[in-house]
Amino acid sequence: MSRSPAASPWYAPVPVVAIATWLVPGSGYLLLGQIARGLTIGITVVVLFVCGLLIGGIHVVDPPTFGPPLHGESVVRRFERHVSEVLQKPPYIGQFMTGVIGIYAGRIGPRQPESHARLNDIGTLYTAVAGMLNLLAIIDASHRAAHPPPPKPGDA
Amino acid sequence: MILSWVPFVEPLPVWDYWPLLLLPLCAGLSVVYKSIRCDDMRRVPREATALFATIIFALIGAALAIWLLVKVVVN
Repeated sequence: MSRSPAASPWYAPVPVVAIATWLVPGSGYLLLGQIARGLTIGITVVVLFVCGLLIGGIHVVDPPTFGPPLHGESVVRRFERHVSEVLQKPPYIGQFMTGVIGIYAGRIGPRQPESHARLNDIGTLYTAVAGMLNLLAIIDASHRAAHPPPPKPGDA
Repeated sequence: MILSWVPFVEPLPVWDYWPLLLLPLCAGLSVVYKSIRCDDMRRVPREATALFATIIFALIGAALAIWLLVKVVVN
């Protein structure tokens, strides 16, 4: 379905495809002209993420807070503190990979009541898996943009 | 309970059926993975169905194995 850069009106540079797929799941494939693949992956990732919010409540997306710099804190210490805060909430790494929808849910999620027990875990799992699948899609779409198949003998 | 449920704010009231929530997750995972792997999108439905069945049977098998292990250890 994808075309070579010379023959294709759909050609897009790799960084554009990667960023587009991250921001809106599946959109990088649409830029490459792979409509069926883009819609299938995009809709499935968004549906999984929304299902996670529905199952556990929107507070399952709980980003690190990244407080202000401490007095006399060096840049290295601040970086280490931020890495530590991210590692304390590893599901957000996956949730962040869903792009705009994950970032927006992370902005409004912490203001909502928190769910507990299994449903919180399952909701978190759904949203994080959706983001990890989108990461796979980002890598695959970037690879397809960098390595388009050679034109067929009959192509002009 | 369902009448007082506020979507996206409160968790879905499916406390007694939570194992069934495994099915949509496995289905979505199978569809996305096979959409990425297959060059021809027409093969995706069949291959995603096969992967979905494989995941479910593997999970049921793992659950049975753990249940047996617990039975053996406890008894």
